[in-house]
This record gives sequence, structure tokens and C-alpha cells, in this order.
Amino acid sequence: MKLRSERDSLVEALSVSGRAVGTRTLGSAVLSGVLLETSGNSLTVTGTDLDLTIQVTTEVIGVEDGSCVVPAKVAADVVRSLEPGAVTLSCTEDTVEISAARNNTTLRSFPVVEFPAVGQPGEKILDLPAKSLSEGLRQVTKAASSDDARPLLTGILLTEESGEVRLVATDSYRLAMRDLLETTGSAITSDILVPARALAELQRAPTTGGGDGVVEVFSSSSEITFKYGGLRISTRLLEGKYPDYRQLIPDSYPNELHLGKESLLSALKRVRLLARDNTTPVRLSMRSGGVDLSVVSQEIGDSNETVDGDFSGDEITVAFNPSYLIDGVDAVISDEVIIEAADSGQPATVRGAERDDYRYLLMPVRVS
Amino acid sequence: MDRTILHVDMDAFFAAVEVLDNPELNGVPVVVGGTGKRGVVASCNYEARLFGVRSAVAMASARRLCPNAVFIDGRYSRYVEVSAKLYELLTTVSPVVERIGLDEAFLDIGGATRLFGAPIEIAARLRESVLEELGLNCSVGVGRSKMIAKLASKAAKPHLTQRGVEVGDGVLVVEDSSERSFLDPLPVSWLWGVGAVTRKRLSELGVKTVGDLAQIPEAILIKEFGSSHGTHLALLSKGIDESPVVASRPPKSIGREVTFAQDSCDIEYLKQRLNVLSAGVSSQLREAGLSASRVSVKVRLADLTFQTRSFTLSTSLDTGPAISAVAQALLDSLPIDRGIRLLGVSTANFSDVERAEQLSLLSMLHDDGVRKVDSSEGEDLQEQAAVLEDGWREIVKAVDAIRAKFGYSAVGNTSTLTGLGLPSTARRDAPWGPSGQDPGD
Repeated sequence: MKLRSERDSLVEALSVSGRAVGTRTLGSAVLSGVLLETSGNSLTVTGTDLDLTIQVTTEVIGVEDGSCVVPAKVAADVVRSLEPGAVTLSCTEDTVEISAARNNTTLRSFPVVEFPAVGQPGEKILDLPAKSLSEGLRQVTKAASSDDARPLLTGILLTEESGEVRLVATDSYRLAMRDLLETTGSAITSDILVPARALAELQRAPTTGGGDGVVEVFSSSSEITFKYGGLRISTRLLEGKYPDYRQLIPDSYPNELHLGKESLLSALKRVRLLARDNTTPVRLSMRSGGVDLSVVSQEIGDSNETVDGDFSGDEITVAFNPSYLIDGVDAVISDEVIIEAADSGQPATVRGAERDDYRYLLMPVRVS
Repeated sequence: MDRTILHVDMDAFFAAVEVLDNPELNGVPVVVGGTGKRGVVASCNYEARLFGVRSAVAMASARRLCPNAVFIDGRYSRYVEVSAKLYELLTTVSPVVERIGLDEAFLDIGGATRLFGAPIEIAARLRESVLEELGLNCSVGVGRSKMIAKLASKAAKPHLTQRGVEVGDGVLVVEDSSERSFLDPLPVSWLWGVGAVTRKRLSELGVKTVGDLAQIPEAILIKEFGSSHGTHLALLSKGIDESPVVASRPPKSIGREVTFAQDSCDIEYLKQRLNVLSAGVSSQLREAGLSASRVSVKVRLADLTFQTRSFTLSTSLDTGPAISAVAQALLDSLPIDRGIRLLGVSTANFSDVERAEQLSLLSMLHDDGVRKVDSSEGEDLQEQAAVLEDGWREIVKAVDAIRAKFGYSAVGNTSTLTGLGLPSTARRDAPWGPSGQDPGD
């Protein structure tokens, strides 16, 4: 195999696919590598940890068809460090040679036959608009759990809501959901639980960042595949029954607070500086005319700030984990944020005033 | 990156402390525990083990096995003291020390290797300083996981042979490359989670050693033992254990309990014992600068089952009479008419810092089955405890000052008096059962 490529497109292909490569080396050594396949002027780079597979196809100048498996991290680092311009990559049976300008690097490669074969994606089920998918993922992924002891909660639920697709994530302290409008294709007939890690990769892939077009979704009983442009991400699905989140959404709230998103967000970030760790809550005292924010840390000191706004209901004080609250407010796509609360032991809701496709449920911190 | 984990395990800890404090016991079989009728052996030295005595066996059988041994009532407070010194020493090697009981600890020495040299050097030097500074022997194991480290320290221990006690290596470092040859010959029963039942079923599969177990495909183990236990066994047999070393934190609860030589249903006697236990708990709380808003009472009934009742106050307590008042009210709600063999008081929800508890969204999906004390009854109890706490607050300050000067038994409440005078120490002294001199005997 031999090819020539612009440095930048090669770096992108190597590093994006390399993110599927596990840091744990429990499996065979070949899994620390990415598979490069050239056919004509098309290069496909594949990385996998057997659960998650990321494949990037990009255009190069193909000199000779073929394939090789290169160590993912060091190859990406080497190519990234080269001067901008053309890079030549050529393989022998057990090495790969990277050359550009006056640098020449030879890396040991892994046997191609040992690299796991990438299966065919399942049946196509959906087209999702890339822009709103990327936006929705940004809104919900943070609410997913990173605790492997609760595997179900490390997933993002794709479920059907009034004929559209809804994304749901929760770590049991907060729950974020986003409805994706304008989806096409057959609707989601049964809930799909996708590891958040895979969707985070889909969201951060540069080609999906706010781009136009659609993301094609394929699914089989145990796997889901997303295709967008030259990017293909496949992941094993999580199995089990997701909590019945609909039961948690209150029908109505007695207290409602309207605030400017940016002023609330920057005030929260200022008072959070005084939080000693995750256990220091921010108190929100809601009253007519706005809200008083307060963080008190015994050893450090305290910080208070008032944010003006409109409030209807009874005066109430509720405490939250400041970072969780910031995540929820930050995800609102609207100039005005609405916080709804019942009492200091019930979940509050954060949403945007102008759009009702996003909702963030947050459980308070009980202070005693 | 692979981790480097060190496991240190004191050799026959309680018995060794006794020998250290009474050098004439050197070379004599020593058995430590509850020396009364229902006591159990907490620890015994290798000399006693030669006669078949083991920890956790009934004291009565230990006396049969080794009538010439010296039987000693455990001095818990002394062991706590030595254990604290050990912990202090360990934290100088690595900030990440996870204590397991009084006599064991895991250390993550991944960072220490840069400062103090190769793992073998760290382990050997640690063993030496434990001997120099505490006068006690320990065994040290090192490996890339907690499991390997613990197995290594066990393999390094002194062991019994037909000729007598054979001194172990004291230190064993299992390199990644020799892990397989280390694990293979070990009996499967050495692995975590392999008890009598699992061992029997494994032996039916022809598995005696860890090496045998590693040969069994994971699928078969899952079929035989279920997915979680089966996977667990497969991982352990391959030496895989990802569990992290978690640095130990200050206690979440402080408590004290007593086992009676004879089951008791005498409510006056039990309430008097609660006074004694609460006095001990409160003085330990004050020593630690804590006060608690949750009081629990635990009993063990004649049928050997445990029952617990708890009460949470809106204020916090650190005086014995107030804690005892709550404990006595809780005792009244327990089914004790047929007698109890164990009584305990513990306190939690310490108020040294503001408590902030993140509530869970998903727990709203389930019924919260916590039994609540009747609210009017609860208010009375709250009120009673608060009045007692106020009344005693100044007195306990004076009591603490006197005790600091003249010892714990110099002063105390009459309500804690026993036939033998004031309890001699604030610590719970015999968690392993009653001594021959228990005043309740």
C-alpha cells in the first residue's frame, strides 16, 4: 500500500478513528492500532475496541492499493508533528514508512489478518438532521452517568415521542431530554440505548459540528451505526430496561422564575468559585424581582449575587449542585431561561422560554 | 499504565501486640479474644496455631485444643493505638492508604516508586521500619492489583509445616512476567469470593489450583456460577482486578456494643448498659470533636437475628445522657421480651460540617420503605434529648478535663456504675465477646 495525502486530512482520519482505540490493553496488541485501507483514491481508517468502532474515509492520492495496521497513537502524533504539506505513507509487510519533507519515520506495523473484521451495518431506520442531532447531543450527553457500576445510565436513550425522536440521559441526579424535529424515515419502534461515549464521539467529530445534511442511522438487534459524510460510527447497544423517566416529569409547578440566560450563567459561574468541592451547594432564594444566589464554604468564605428576573409563586429557597445547574442552564438554546420548582425536595425543571424541545430535570441538594 | 499496589498485613496482630507488651510470653502459645463462655478467638500466635487454634473459633474449643496457652482478654484500645502508629508510618510511604481493619492496608505506590526506588526496595524498607518502630512483624506483598498484592503478602507469611513454624520471606514482589507462575500453583480457595460452596463445585470440575481455574473457559464458569460470579472468577484466575485503592476517610459512625454472657430481658439492666455504652460513645465523639444527630440501637435476639432502630434529630448530641435517652426510647420499640444477647449503640450524621445530600431523581420511582417513628412521639423525644444535651454540656466539659488528668475511670455518671465501679475505659474493649469478668456474668 502506498499513498500521498495532505497532512491535515491524514491527521484527522488517524486521530478521529484512533479515539475508538481503548487505553486499556487487555485485548490483543493489534487493537492498539488502526487499520488503513487504500482503494483507488480513497483511504479508510478504522479504529475499534470491539464495543465502539470509528471509521473515517477520506480522499488521498492512491499510488498502490492495499492495507496495513499502524499503532494508533504514535502514528497520529508523528503525522501531526510534520510540517504542513504532502505526506507519503507506504507499507511493507511489517513496517510503515511515513515521510514528509526531510523527515522519515518507520514504524512497526501489526499483521492485518489479526485486525477484527468490521461487519455490515444493520437495517437503515432513520435520517436525522445533522445540525439538530449535534445540538441535541451537546444538550444531553453531560447528564449521562460515567459510573460503570450503573451501566444503563451510561447510555443515551433514543425513544419515540409524538412521532419524533427524543434523546434522554440521566445520571439519577439530573435528567436531560431533547426532542429532535424534522426526522425522516421509519420511526423508532422500540427504545434504543446507545453508550454515551459513542454519541460523544459523533458529536465532536468535526464534520458533524453544526454541518448541514443528514446522519443516517442503521440498527440491528445488538448494534447501531451512524453514517455522516466520510464518518461511520458503530457501537454495541446497552441492554436492559431504562428507568421510566416519564413518571418523573411533574405536570405543573407552583413557582416559576424567568431569567436572562447569560446573566444567570455568569453569576452561577462566579459564585461556584467558592464551592469547595461537589458537595457544596448553591442556594437559590427565589422571590419577586428575581433570585439571590449564595454559596457558603466553611474554610473558604462565601459568595452572593442577585440576578433580576420575573417570579410568580411563593418565595422559596432550593439548593442545587452548582455544576449540575450550570450544565442545565448552559444547554438552553434561548435568551431567556425558565426555572420551575415545587419545593426543596422535589425536582426542578430548567428550560428555554422560546423553545419547548429541551427540558432538564434537576434534583435538589438537601442541606441540614 | 499498570499500577503498583502494596499490601501490608501484620502477622498475628493482636497476639503479637500482647507478646510485645509482655516479653515473657515470647515462644508461648497466646490466644487473644473473649475469654468468657461465649467468647471467640480474635487472634492467636503461630505457637498456638501449631495446636490447631485459629481466629474466629469458639474460645471453648481453643481451650480444648491448647490447654497450656495463655488466654488474654483483648485490649481493643491498645490495638487501635498501635494500628494508628502503623497507619501514620504507611502514609509516609504513599498518601493513598486504604486501611482494612486494624492490621491490614493497601497502598498505591505508583507515585512512590519515583521517590523511593523500586517496589522491592520500598517493600523491604517498609517491613524493616514496621519492625523497628512498632516492634512487630508484618508481611508485604506487591503486585499490579490489590488481589495479586494480597495473595503475595499471604504467600510471604510464616507458615506451619510438620516440623513447626517456618519463617516466610516477609516480602514478595510479583512482577508482571512472573504473575502466571505465581498464581498457577495457589489453591483456588485463596481467591476472593471462593468460599466453601464455590470450592466444592470447582473441585467437582477438577479445579484445585488457580492455574486449573484459568484453563476453564469463561463461558463454562458463567454457566456454572451465573454471569457475575462466573465472570469474576474468570478475571481473578487471570490475575485481573481493577479495583482501586481508596484512601481511608474519617469514620462515618461511632458506636459501641456489648455481648452478654447470658441472654437478658431485664429492662432496667439493659437501660443501665445503654447508659454505659452511650457514655463511651459520647466521650469518643467529643475526643474527635464531633456531635451526631442520628442515634441507632442494635440488638441481637435469642434466635441470633439482628434488629436495628434509628432516630434522627434536628439537633446534634455529644453527651452520654442525651444519647442514652434516645437509645432507651428506641430500645422500647424493639421486641426484647425473649431476651437479647447483644446490645449496641451507634451514632452517625456528624455535624462537624454542614451536611449536603444530593437527592436522587430515580429513587422517586420506588417506594421509600423507611419506617418513621410516630411524629408526636418523635417530637417528645427530640425535646427530651435537647433538654438533656443542654443540661449536660457544661458538665461533660469538666468531666473531660478531669479524665484528661486522672484517667477515664476517675469520674463518671452514677447511671453508668456497675458492680465493679466505673467502666475502665472509653473504648469498646471486647468486640469479640464477653470476658470471664463481665459484670453481667
